[in-house]
Amino acid sequence: MTQGAGPMNRGGGPMGPGGGPPRGGPGGPSVVTAPQQQGYAKPLPGIDEENKPFWDYAKKHELRMQKCLQCGKIYYPPSSLCPHCHSWQGSEWVKLSGKGQVYSFIVARRATNPAFAKEVPYVVAIIETEEGGRLISNVVGCKPEDVKIGMPVEVLFDDVTEEVTLPKFKPAS
Amino acid sequence: MELQDMKNRAAVVGVGYTAEQGTVPGRSALSFAMEATKNAIEDAGLKKDDIDGLLIQPVIGMQSYTVASYLGFDNLKLLANEDVMGASGACLAIHAALAVASGQVNYVLCLYGTNGKSGRGGPAGPGAGGGGPPRIVGTNAAYGLFGASAEYALAASRGMHVLGTGPETWADIAINQRKWANLNPRATFYKKTMNREEYYAEPWIAEPLRRADCCLVSDGGRAYIVTTAERARDLKQPPVYIAGMGQNHHTADIAQNIHTTGPTGAQKSGEAAFKMAGITTKEIDACEIYDCFTYTVEITLQSYGFFKPGEGKDFFKNGRTAPGGEFPVNTSGGLLSEVYYMGFTPFTEGVAQLRGQCGDRQINDPHFILSSSNGGILQTHGTVILTNEDVGNHIKE
Ligand SMILES: [Zn+2]
Repeated sequence: MTQGAGPMNRGGGPMGPGGGPPRGGPGGPSVVTAPQQQGYAKPLPGIDEENKPFWDYAKKHELRMQKCLQCGKIYYPPSSLCPHCHSWQGSEWVKLSGKGQVYSFIVARRATNPAFAKEVPYVVAIIETEEGGRLISNVVGCKPEDVKIGMPVEVLFDDVTEEVTLPKFKPAS
Repeated sequence: MELQDMKNRAAVVGVGYTAEQGTVPGRSALSFAMEATKNAIEDAGLKKDDIDGLLIQPVIGMQSYTVASYLGFDNLKLLANEDVMGASGACLAIHAALAVASGQVNYVLCLYGTNGKSGRGGPAGPGAGGGGPPRIVGTNAAYGLFGASAEYALAASRGMHVLGTGPETWADIAINQRKWANLNPRATFYKKTMNREEYYAEPWIAEPLRRADCCLVSDGGRAYIVTTAERARDLKQPPVYIAGMGQNHHTADIAQNIHTTGPTGAQKSGEAAFKMAGITTKEIDACEIYDCFTYTVEITLQSYGFFKPGEGKDFFKNGRTAPGGEFPVNTSGGLLSEVYYMGFTPFTEGVAQLRGQCGDRQINDPHFILSSSNGGILQTHGTVILTNEDVGNHIKE
């Protein structure tokens, strides 16, 4: 597969970042065979033409989302078309404050994917940013039982590989 | 034409089961679909060549014409795979009803088959990938969010916060449905009971959802045939008419969905269906609700208006939706305790109840049954109100 160029990831397999040797097919259990030198066995985000800027900014430790140049609304996931007003005039990748709140969350108590075996229990949450955009992330830096809906959180950046940084969230200081 | 003009214009005339269902290794999804097709045609008293329309739930995994060719349908006037996923049970029936009422076709077969339990790569069931394109699913995986169970758990968790329900409520839903399955010889949990302690002892799938909150993963197939009311009256089975129908698809993925605590697509699709049928929730004798998860039953019934937000925590108590209760829900055991055939499980059970063919689990003299299906993570929704009352628009003609 071409590394980092196309929406090939089907949810289980690694989506390779740019460069490096191919790392197996697009699906399923190939995630557990990620090379040791990478040191990171978990799935990586499916990066494609439209969401690449989000991940490029994340690598620079910036949380940015698209703001429509016509209607001014923030939208996510990344897209070429504003889902609110259908503007084709483009968007501005605006920098977000990094502050938000937990809209909902779950506690994963078993590893659906073996790469997460050491993480359980861990928290997956829908984060609503101060600016209104919402995204899936993890809440880290506290016990799962301390996470509450409505809890204020702030972004942190987890450089999981040389190429990929995952924005995550911790309780607001 | 008004939507009300469609009332009782179409009918369900054949239902096809597979002899075995649940865990049936060594068979393809297509083989189950073929068996269900043959049985539906026989049940209706039709012949193979009567079928001139075919609508397929695409989990079978082939192009529509390939499935049709294996079935020997070589003169179809309507053919499609329809990928609203769980919402298929109701949505395919709605498409079929419109098609037969228009005169485009005479008999539409709606078809489902899966080997998701024992086969390779069957995408059916709660372990399957959740909604959205690969880049969303892949990004979710990077954060350890896998499959529909975990995504529905995000909806259920928000529901606990907003609505004050939770495991206490969901235990009632799961146990009440288990009691129905205990009466259904086809059900995976036939004669296998579950009490409250056993519900709480079930392992977490994704907290706050336990295994008993999640639908089964099953092998097997299911099919049904839709035709006009006029033709239905001359066929083998008691006709079951489509009195009301509606669809409403909110479509957004779980992170963007603002309808997870209601009203879901059930509300607007239900309003359309009730308006077409000319009845209200009070006339409904039973509900066959798409129950991929216990929370789905709660939020769907709330969205239809059977109770108000905040009243869910009391609604299911004291066996209200169980056998013998005043408001039967998911009388086959449903997706939780019978089998997971997407929207085909609740839809075909509604037909069977209105025919009076449900044996030990038959409810007393039903006239109107509401069947829902929804797909994705509360992203697609279809509603059909079924009736055995032989009154309606077809009489006037
Ligand atoms: Zn816009």
